[in-house]
This record gives sequence, structure tokens and C-alpha cells, in this order.
Amino acid sequence: MILLEVTSPGSSVSLVLFFGTIGMLALTIGLIVFIIFHQRKVIRYQLRLQRMEQDQQKLLLNASIRLQEEERQRIAADLHDDAGPLLATARLYLNENLVNLDKTTQLQSIYNAKQIIDDTIQLIRNISHSLMPPTLKNFGLESAVNDLFQKISGSGSMNASSRFHDYRERLQSENELIIFRIIQELVNNILKHSNASFIHLTQNTSGNKFFIRLHHDGRGITQNDFNKLNKSNVGLGLKNIQSRLKVLHGKIFFEKDMSQTYYKVTIELVKEEDDKLQEQE
Amino acid sequence: MLPYLSTLSAILPIVFFLAFYKRNKKGELWVIFTYTITSFATDLSYKRLVHNLNVPPLYIYTFFSLLEYSLFALFLYKSYKQRSFKNILLLLSLIFYAVALVNLFHNNSDSQSFDSPSASLESILIIVYCIFFLFEQVKDPNIFYIYYIKKFWVVLALLIYFASTLFLFLYAATFEKPELSTYWKINYIFDIIKNLLFVVSFTMKDNKQAYSADTLYNDI
Repeated sequence: MILLEVTSPGSSVSLVLFFGTIGMLALTIGLIVFIIFHQRKVIRYQLRLQRMEQDQQKLLLNASIRLQEEERQRIAADLHDDAGPLLATARLYLNENLVNLDKTTQLQSIYNAKQIIDDTIQLIRNISHSLMPPTLKNFGLESAVNDLFQKISGSGSMNASSRFHDYRERLQSENELIIFRIIQELVNNILKHSNASFIHLTQNTSGNKFFIRLHHDGRGITQNDFNKLNKSNVGLGLKNIQSRLKVLHGKIFFEKDMSQTYYKVTIELVKEEDDKLQEQE
Repeated sequence: MLPYLSTLSAILPIVFFLAFYKRNKKGELWVIFTYTITSFATDLSYKRLVHNLNVPPLYIYTFFSLLEYSLFALFLYKSYKQRSFKNILLLLSLIFYAVALVNLFHNNSDSQSFDSPSASLESILIIVYCIFFLFEQVKDPNIFYIYYIKKFWVVLALLIYFASTLFLFLYAATFEKPELSTYWKINYIFDIIKNLLFVVSFTMKDNKQAYSADTLYNDI
């Protein structure tokens, strides 16, 4: 009926009304359909992001578990291969005392057993220090890093130096340990892969931010390489760094120096996070 | 037939609102319930007011437009989360009331039976407010499925009704009576659709899925 009225000759107002109404209705339905499809698109995008994040978490968790297992295996190997035979030898020397009644031989075997037990004590101390450096626990991050760098320099393979510009207040001991482990991992990577002749570490703060920068003149990686390695199944150490930084809510940047001569690694932490954690505890 | 169906369709939302009162007591749906009662009552009393009490139709239409706009604007005002949308709504409402009152007092109630300017402005404003509402919902990252929200169906009803009747209201004053009664069918049809969409809103449960990511995978 309405259509007939509209199509009758001389009814321009009716035509406007008819097409206007149809047009408005089409626009409304179009708007609603667009909103629903747009929302679905957004949901799909969010899901993809969520899955990517879950995959990344999984990779980090796997890396962390593998590292833990490797560490356990290393400790087990140290105890089994070094401490075990040493103690067995000491036991043999002490057993000899029961069989051999000659005083000089007995004294000799006791002396040998003592020497071996001293070596074992030293060995266990080394294992313990590798698990938790005493300098870090007692004197803090600055001393532990200096100690580490002195040892590297002492080996003669590389010149390592560090300078802490603003570290009057120590961070929480757990956080210091995490940062130290990250530095250890980075230094290990530089030693293993970069062929660098020097490493220089600097620490400073800016506002509530805490920075640690490492420079070296060898082969390094950039942020793109780091991101790629983080998403792949290789680069266990880097994933470990990433998961440790996640605990501290920190960031890491890998870049090449402006002069294209040095590689620079920057660790950025928020100091307030540390304070808040302390307050919560 | 259509006018009767349109009037009777207004009963449906009232019945369903009361039947599912527990689902509808929270939120702003009571504003829509009040509107459906007012609309039904106006439809019933229109003939009596015009023929028996000689009230000019322009007054009834203007009064109903003001009431209808106020209730829908209140519903949308209460539904907005963003302060800026609320402020825009308040500002535009002042303009609407001014236009409606000027139209009422400056037009001849004997020659003009329908308040075309205020009804058209009402349609435009409610469409704009509905778009604001949808925009706000789409921007909200906590809402995953907009069609699981009860208010969405009310807004859909308003959008469809006012978008479809906008041109009718714009040209209503220029039509002769027989012409107007032909085109007024558009109003009846979309009034029925609007009431049915209100029923959808009143009967559905406020689904938790709209706000949760737990069942996100099920629907895609």
C-alpha cells in the first residue's frame, strides 16, 4: 500500500519519506551489524594476544625449569664426581689405620686423609659460593659485581670493570640476587659468544628508575634479535633473563652504540616496586 | 487492525516486565516499564481526550513527546558511564525542551495536529544518544558480547523505532489527513517491533558471558 502511494506520479514527498525511512533503517541495521562484527574482531584479536602471551609464558617456564634441572645436574655431578671420590679415598686412608699398625704409616695415612678432607671442604665451599655468593649476601650487589669482574679480569682473558654511581641504599636481598644472576648470565654470554676485549658495567638512577648498563666491544645482539630468540626455542639464557626481569617488573634493551662500535645492554627497574614490596612484607 | 495491534503490543512489555520482575528490578529497565505504561495509557485515552474533552491533538502529542523523550533520556543518562556523554545529554535536553515548548505555544493548535518539529528533534536526539551508548559499550574492554546485555535490546528498539519514523515525523505536518493515516502505518509497524524488542530485553537474563572471558571461545 505504502509502496503504491509512493510510486504514484507527483508524490515527491512520499518518495523522500519512503527512501528516507528505508535508508535510516538500513543505516541502523548496518550500524548494529558493524558493532557486533567489530566486537567479534576485537575479541579474536584479544584471544590471539592472550594465546601469544600464554605461549611466551610457557617458553619462559620451560626455560626456567630446564635451567633449574641443569643447575641440579651440575651440583649432582660436582658432588658425585668430585666430593664422592675424595671422601671415598679419605675413608680408604682411615681404613688403612685399622689394618696397618705401623705408627709412621698410620700418621702418613691420617695426614693424607686430612689433606683430602680439606680439599673436600674447599670443594663444597666452592659449590655453595656458586649457589649463593657470600659477598652478595654480606656486602651487596656492588661488591658482588666488583668481585665477579675482578675474577674475570684476573683470568687475563678480558678487561672487566664496573662503576656504581648511586648505590647508597641497597635493594632487597632477593632482588639483588635476581639482578646479580641477570648480570652473571649477560657476562657469561659475552664471554662465550662475543669475543669482546672489555666489559664495562655502570649503575645509576634517574628519579625512581634504576639502571644498569653493560658495554662491550665484541659481537652482540640487538633488541630485534632478543625478541626473536625469546619467541624461539633457543636462547635458554635469554629466556631466563626475561623471566627473572618479569619478577622485578623490569625491562631490558639490547642495542648497538651510536658509533656502531660497542654493544650496549640496559636493564631498567622501577625503584618504587622494590619499596612497595618491602612495605608489603 | 494495525492501530489496535500497536496499542495491544504495548501490553506485552508490561506483562513480561512483571512476569520476570526479579530479572528486571535491577538497572534502569523500570524507566522503560514506566514508558510502556504511559504509552499504553495515552493510546487508550487519546480518542476520549480529543472527542469528548476537546483537547487539541497537538497538546496531547507534545505532552507525549515530552514525556517519551524525558523517559528515554533518563534511561540513557542512567546507562552512561562517561561523564561527558551525560553532560551532552543534559545540554541537548535543554534545547529539546525549549524547541518543544516554543512549538507548542507558537503554533496554532487548530490548524496543526502533530508536533512535527519536536517529534523529529526527539528522534534525532534519541538516535544520537543511542549511538553514544553503543560507542561506550564497544569501547568497554570488559564487555565481550554486547547482545547479552539487556539494555542493548532496549537501545536497539529505540534506534530502529526512531530511525524508521524520523522521516515520517519530519513530513507528518505537511500531509493531509487521509495521506497521514496511510503513512502512519510505518509508526504502527515499528511501534510493534519496538515493543517486541522491549519484551526480548525484559525476558532475557543479564548474562554473565557479556562481561567474562571464560566462555569466550564458545561463541567464536
